Amino acid sequence: MRHIVKPLLRQRMMPLLVALQVALACAIACNALFLLQQKLVPIVTPDGVGQPDCLIVAWNIAPRGNPWPPATLRQTATELRAIPGVASASLAASWPMETMAQLSGTVVAEGKGIKASASVYIGDHLLDTLGLKLLEGRNFSAGEDALIYKGMGLEADGPAIITQALARHLFPDGDALGKVIRIGDQADAARRTVVGVVAHLMRNKFGQDDREDVDYTLLFPGTPSNWPVPIFGVRVRSKAEATGVLKAMKAVVQRELGPNMIQGIDPAYESYGDMRERMLAQSKAAVWLLSGVSLIVLLVTVVGIMGLTSYWVQQRARQIGIRRALGAQRGNILREVQLENLLVVGVGILFGMVLAYAINLWLMHRYELSRLPWNYLPYGAALMLLLGQCAVLSPALRAARVPPVVATRSV
Amino acid sequence: MMDYYLRLALSRCRQNVPMVLLLVLTMAIGIASTMTALTIFRALAGAPLPGVSPSLYVATMDARESVDKDNPDYKQPDSLLKFADAKALVDAHRAVQQVAVAQSLTQIGRPDGDQSAQAYGLMAYGPVLQAFGVPLRYGRPWTEAELASNAPVLVIDTHTAQKLFGTENAVGRSVTLGRRSFRVIGVSAPWKPRVQMFDVAQSRGNLMGQDENFFVPAEASLDAGVGPLIAGECGKDAPVASFQSTQVSQCRWLEAWVRLDTPAQVSAYGPFLAGYANAQHDAGRFVYPPQARLYSTQAWLALNHVVPDDVHLNLMLAGGFLLLCLVNVAGLLAARFLRRQGDVAIRRALGASKRDVFVQHLVETGLLGLLGGVLALPLTWLGLWIVRMQPVSYAEAARFSPGVFAILLALSVGVGLVVGILPAWRVCRQPPALQIKLA
Repeated sequence: MRHIVKPLLRQRMMPLLVALQVALACAIACNALFLLQQKLVPIVTPDGVGQPDCLIVAWNIAPRGNPWPPATLRQTATELRAIPGVASASLAASWPMETMAQLSGTVVAEGKGIKASASVYIGDHLLDTLGLKLLEGRNFSAGEDALIYKGMGLEADGPAIITQALARHLFPDGDALGKVIRIGDQADAARRTVVGVVAHLMRNKFGQDDREDVDYTLLFPGTPSNWPVPIFGVRVRSKAEATGVLKAMKAVVQRELGPNMIQGIDPAYESYGDMRERMLAQSKAAVWLLSGVSLIVLLVTVVGIMGLTSYWVQQRARQIGIRRALGAQRGNILREVQLENLLVVGVGILFGMVLAYAINLWLMHRYELSRLPWNYLPYGAALMLLLGQCAVLSPALRAARVPPVVATRSV
Repeated sequence: MMDYYLRLALSRCRQNVPMVLLLVLTMAIGIASTMTALTIFRALAGAPLPGVSPSLYVATMDARESVDKDNPDYKQPDSLLKFADAKALVDAHRAVQQVAVAQSLTQIGRPDGDQSAQAYGLMAYGPVLQAFGVPLRYGRPWTEAELASNAPVLVIDTHTAQKLFGTENAVGRSVTLGRRSFRVIGVSAPWKPRVQMFDVAQSRGNLMGQDENFFVPAEASLDAGVGPLIAGECGKDAPVASFQSTQVSQCRWLEAWVRLDTPAQVSAYGPFLAGYANAQHDAGRFVYPPQARLYSTQAWLALNHVVPDDVHLNLMLAGGFLLLCLVNVAGLLAARFLRRQGDVAIRRALGASKRDVFVQHLVETGLLGLLGGVLALPLTWLGLWIVRMQPVSYAEAARFSPGVFAILLALSVGVGLVVGILPAWRVCRQPPALQIKLA
C-alpha cells in the first residue's frame, strides 16, 4: 500500500485534479439524479384511470358573473348521460390532471391521529366515469351522488372512497373500511366514513410529492354549490364512438351553459389521455434534460480520468520499467494502477458525498425540495468507482505493457 | 511577442488534433449549457419593467373583514384590496405615484359593431400610464378630473387601434366597452411586463403574461358592466362572483402599486400604510391584525415564486457542470503542457523568463477558450431552440440576444484563461536544468 500512496503524495497535482473532478461529478450527478427521480414519480406511477382514450373531459368552463346553480349543471350532466354511446357521465369540481381547481390538504385518521396530505375529488358517478378499480367496499349510492352541498362540501360529513395507498398509510392495520377520516386537523373538521377502497387514483397536485403521496386521494360524492369552474367527464362505450359523442357533448354544453359563459374563454374538450400527456409533458422534458446532464457529467468525468491517468502513467514509464526489471509481473502493475485509481476516486467520492449532501441541504432550505435519501450515496459511490475503474482500464493496460527494457533507456 | 505566442499556440493546436478537439468541445459544452440557462434566467429574473419596476412597491395587508377558518394565520401576504381601501391609499397621495389596478378581459368594439377585438387590459384607479411607465404613441393619459367624474374615457394599444380602425392613431374615436361608449383619449405602444407581476397569486401558470390592450378607469368600467377577470376574494355573505363580474363591492380585487424613488420615501411610506391598515382594524373593519407590509416588485415576485424554481435549479446545475468542465480541461491542459517540458526547458535555457513561458501558455489556453466559445455559439443556439420546443411556461424567454453573445465571448476567454493558470504556472515553475536533464 505504501508504494502506492507515497508517489500520490509526492506528485499531488494529478491525483488532486482527478479527486476534485470525481467530487464535483458526484455532487452534481447525485443531485441531478435525485431531481430526476422526483420528476419521474408522476410519470411512472399508475394514475388509476381506466381506458384513458374512452374518457372525454370538458373543462375551463367559466361563468360570467355568478356561478351556475347546481340544478343547471345537473341538467347538463343528465343531458350528457343521454347522448348515445355514453356509458357514464360526471359533474365534478376537480379532476385528475386538471390543476385549475386543486382541493388538497391535511386529512387525519380519527382515533389514530395519523396525518397525510391528500387531494379530494368531488363529483357524482366518479368511480364509473373515471373507470377506477374498486378493491374493497362499495360505490357511492344514487342518494349519496344526488347530494348538493352548501358550499364546497369539504365541511360536510358523509361517505368517502379512498385509494389503497392512503388507506394503508392512515390505517396500517388494514381495516380502513368503515373508519372515519377527518378533513383537516381542527376540532370541528368534517368526518368522512370510508365506504370503499380503490387501487389507484393520482392527485392533481404533484411536483414535490414522493412516490407515496402522489397516490393519496379521496373521492366525495355529490355536487358543490357556488362552484365557479365545473368539470364534466364523459366515458364512452367504445373508442369508435368518441368523435360522435364529443360533437354532441360540445353541443350540449354550449346550449346549456354557453349563454352565460365568459366571453373570450372557451371551454376545453380533451380526451383524458391527451390531458395526461399535456400535464406530464413538462415532467418528461425535465427527465430528458436531467438524464442528458447526468450522462454528460459522467462522460466528461470518465474522459478526464482517462486523460490524466494516461499522462500519469506515461510520466512514470521509467519507474514502471524498473519495477518490471526487478521482477514485478504485468498483473502487479495493472492492479497497482487500478488500486491507485480506486484510492484517488475513493477520496473524491468521500468529498463528493459531503458536497452532494451540503448542496441538497442548501437547496432544501431555498426551494421546496425534499431531503436526499441516504441510499443515494452508496449507489452513487458504487457507480463512480465503477466508472473510475472503466476509465483507468486502458491506461493501466498500457502501463502493464511497459517492457522492463525501458528502465535501461536514456538514464 | 504576442503575435509570436499566437503563432506558436496555433501551430501547437495543430499537433494532437483529437486532444485539442476534446478540450475545445468540453469547454464548448460547459459554456453552452451555462449560456442557455443564463439566457433564460436573465430574461425572467430581471426587472419586469426595466427602469420602472425597481422603484415600484405593492401594498399588502390582511384586509379580511370576516373570520376565515381555512386560513386563520395569514401565512402568505395578500395584495388584494377592496375598492374603498385601494382608493383611500391612492387618494392619500403619500407616494411619488400610486395606482390601484386589476386585470380585465373583455370585448372592445366599434360603435357601428363592424369590428371587435378580444382584449386584455387593466382597470385602474389613478395615473396608471405614468406609474408603470407605459409609453404613449398618441394622445394623453386621463386626468384627475376625468377619473373623479367617472368619465367614459380609455387608452387602447396600437394593436387594438389597428384592428378596430385600421390606423394606429385612434385618438378621438369612440369604442364600445360593455354597455357604454368610451372615448379613446390615448393610444399606447404594445406593452406588457417581462413576466407577470399583477395579481400573481391568481395568475399562476401564466408566467409570461400578455399584452395589456386597454387601460380604463375602474369605476367607469364597472358602470359599463365590465368587471375584473377574476373577482378575487369575496366575503362569506357576498353573492359568489367569479369571472368578469361587476358585483365586486364586497370583494377584494384590486392591488395598490406605489412608486417610491428614494429609501427615505420607502421608509416613510411603510408607517403610513401600517397606520391606515391599523386604523381599519381598530375601527373593527379588518378582523385580523393587518400586518401591513410593502414589497418591492422583485421581493414580491420572489415571495410568490413567480419565476419557477426549475429556472434557478437549472442555472445552478449548468454552473456546476461548467465548473466540472473547467477542472477537467485544466487537468487535460496540465497533462498536455507538462508533456512538453523539454521544449520549455530549452526555451528557458535560451533565456526566456518564467513570465514569458507563463504568458505563452496563457495565450495558448486563451486561444483554446476562444475556439470553445466559437463552438459554444451554435450549441447555445441549439440549446435555446430545444428549450423553446419544450412545454414549459418560460419557453418564450429562451431567445438569443446580443447581450448574451457578449457575455458568451467574455465567458469563453475567461474560461480559457482560468483553466490555463494552474497548468501554465506548473510548467514554468520547474528549474530549467532539471527539465533539460529530464528531457
